[in-house]
Amino acid sequence: MSETRPTYAGPGRLVVAAYGLLALAATARGVYQLMDHGSEAPLAYALSVASGVVYVVATFALATDRRTLAWVAVLTELVGVLTVGAASLLVPDRFPDDTVWSRFGQGYGWVPLVLPLLGLLWLRRTGRPRAQ
Amino acid sequence: MVARRAARSGGTVTAVTVPLVVLVVAACVALAGWASWFVVADRPVVLRQLGAATGVVALLLVQAVVAGVLLVRGDGSVSAGLFWAYVVTQVLVLPLAALWAFAERTRWSSVVLAVAALTVAFLEYRLVQIWGSR
Repeated sequence: MSETRPTYAGPGRLVVAAYGLLALAATARGVYQLMDHGSEAPLAYALSVASGVVYVVATFALATDRRTLAWVAVLTELVGVLTVGAASLLVPDRFPDDTVWSRFGQGYGWVPLVLPLLGLLWLRRTGRPRAQ
Repeated sequence: MVARRAARSGGTVTAVTVPLVVLVVAACVALAGWASWFVVADRPVVLRQLGAATGVVALLLVQAVVAGVLLVRGDGSVSAGLFWAYVVTQVLVLPLAALWAFAERTRWSSVVLAVAALTVAFLEYRLVQIWGSR
């Protein structure tokens, strides 16, 4: 804690805010879709909820400077968006409706693809010993 | 819901809500511009900007009341749960950014306020889409 910069300060505010927004968007969307018309595309909606939970964990970890948890959550997102993004293009039949991670997050302005990269960079940068 | 769509009188709805939507989006863009200027100037959010944000939230509350009245009268045709979820989110975004402004006294609070204002504008766009989706 004393040797590294906290993940929530300075530019980290933006990272946490962006994660918080995505956490809300993904979770709310997934839960709503599952409850409203869950049988139409159960896999896609369940994946949306799962991605939402990962974003919630990442937001919490980054906001409270829990670095290990943040690494795990952010890496999970990166793997998720790459896997589901590729799967949505390769086997579109399994995805009758979009998830947050479909087509690499295109429906969300590719924010789901950019954010984990930003998160990793930020974790690496704050992980270095503080200057001075 | 089908009956509701049939009962929908597009004229009155449009007349009441379009000026509000334009006002909300314009206010959000103005606030985002103001905050962005502070980002460039390397300044944290100031109290006057939070006052402006309060004004935007007041507009959103007025809009929520108008939307509620229109829905009760059967003038809107929306999936109610989805619509109100967006309304609540939209009202909460700027207060959260304001909390950030107190915690972070650097330019990054201005970045967050700018992003928050644009988010509210985007949510407004989604609300218009949802209004009339069913």
